[in-house]
Amino acid sequence: MIFSSALIENAVNEFARLPGIGKKTALRLVLHLLKQDPAQVKLFGDVVTRMRDQIKFCKVCHNVSDQEVCSICSSLSRNKALVCVVENIRDVMAIENTQQFNGVYHVLGGIISPIDGVGPDQLNIHTLVERVQQTGIEEIIMALSPTIEGDTTIYYLSKKLKDFPVKITTIARGIAFGGELEYADEMTLARSISNRLPLESYVQK
Amino acid sequence: MLLLRKISLVQFKNYTAERFEFNKRITGITGRNGSGKTNLLDAIYYICFTKSYFTSSEAQNTQYQTNGFRLEAYMDKKGQEGKIVCTVKDGKKDISLNDEPYDRFSHHIGKYPAVMIAPDDAEIILGGSEERRKWLDALLCQLHPGYLDNLITYQKILQQRNSLLKTIATQGGNQDALLDVFDEQLVYHGTPVFEVRRDFLPSFIRQVQELYDYLAGQHEVVNIQYQCGLHEQPFNKLLASNRYKDMMMQRTTGGIHRDDLQFLLDDHAMKTSASQGQRKSFLFALKLAQFEVIRQHKKFPPLLLLDDVFEKLDRERVSRLISLVSGPTYGQVFITDTHAERLLDAFKENEDSFQLIKMR
Ligand SMILES: [Zn+2]
Repeated sequence: MIFSSALIENAVNEFARLPGIGKKTALRLVLHLLKQDPAQVKLFGDVVTRMRDQIKFCKVCHNVSDQEVCSICSSLSRNKALVCVVENIRDVMAIENTQQFNGVYHVLGGIISPIDGVGPDQLNIHTLVERVQQTGIEEIIMALSPTIEGDTTIYYLSKKLKDFPVKITTIARGIAFGGELEYADEMTLARSISNRLPLESYVQK
Repeated sequence: MLLLRKISLVQFKNYTAERFEFNKRITGITGRNGSGKTNLLDAIYYICFTKSYFTSSEAQNTQYQTNGFRLEAYMDKKGQEGKIVCTVKDGKKDISLNDEPYDRFSHHIGKYPAVMIAPDDAEIILGGSEERRKWLDALLCQLHPGYLDNLITYQKILQQRNSLLKTIATQGGNQDALLDVFDEQLVYHGTPVFEVRRDFLPSFIRQVQELYDYLAGQHEVVNIQYQCGLHEQPFNKLLASNRYKDMMMQRTTGGIHRDDLQFLLDDHAMKTSASQGQRKSFLFALKLAQFEVIRQHKKFPPLLLLDDVFEKLDRERVSRLISLVSGPTYGQVFITDTHAERLLDAFKENEDSFQLIKMR
């Protein structure tokens, strides 16, 4: 691709670094922005910059947040005794979309897989143990992907928590959603959260 | 009865585009070396097992300078027609049955069972333990639902555990809690695999013995010993006692992934002390016993694919083999040979159920 302007070329190259965006699509987006009012484009740029600069991760649950503690953790109407453990932020969004869950979350930031360089120390596990230790959590729902790595992670966490008086459950896995939580349709996800299983019956399946 | 009615091969190995129809119970395939006899058998194997008998590389199954191949077969299983299509295109593989694509190829395996006996098979006796595990697993996963899933899960956990052992060795740190979890998962998925392997062999060896005596024309005691650390202690104990060693070696040193089968002739290892003729008789007995086990399990005979047996066995053994597979417990048989007359002569008593295909 030959450009008569280095400014355009740089912008196209930056867009093309985004996932799923090729050079052609990048050019289309840049040319679109070129047609816009400069103030509109400035707003676009500012919003993106501010998003990255000012975003925080909730110090309680590690979800994205505008404050030190996220809006879910600080909401008075959420049940703090019920914690749903998920892999990442997208899972929080998928479950929130069902509008069926009234507890709070704990975002692990991944799943145990030594092959991919992820051990327990790379995940937000000790903060979960601390939460259980320090606050009155009654039930933990493991909502991790139905893979072998998901099994390993659930098993590991349940061992870490076995000495605390906390009930550990898991959402019905592998029955209706054949992949990651974010792809599960809302009805299925809502149902599997309300019909969760005690961990024993899952581990000994 | 299971019958393969027709098969078409497009860009598969040396075939550009070819169709074959089979209208007799026994099909002889003749032609000079390199004319594609074995490739036709392999195409039949492929539509039953969704992979080649000889290679795991789809590039080697694809005709030179093309980007993929297609196999289409029409089977008749107890009167029900099954259309199987296997395509590999630009590295992507698809398998369908009656135009329904499979999500998991493992669901196809076992529906149309087949047994292949081919020249390379001596590796089962002479090669490393992996060859014998591969053979045993391929057989057992056709008989026991769940066996393959346990085995695949076990392998994945094993890789994670080995990777963790390497991480501990290079980066230090105490990961005993995670090792405990992997150990429990290995025990959970590995123990049923051990039990299936252990329970299978005693009755299987009796069938091997019977077939060996028949083919060899005399009685010699053959045996298969299942070597596994789980005979002595339960899997969790084995892993616990190996923990320190595993950390030193940076891999999991004990478990069903290290199992082996010891083939014995009069109590001596067949690998080192049997003659070539004895080994061949044993190999055929092993494969024919495999056929028998699948037949009893499925309640119909699998397809039997015999590659180049005339070159491998002496006259007497060949004629015993031919009269066995011509018998009523056998189903459809495909047999290759370079000499048309030899095939015609071998099956002259079964002329009515014999079809000869000549390769160009
Ligand atoms: Zn939070």
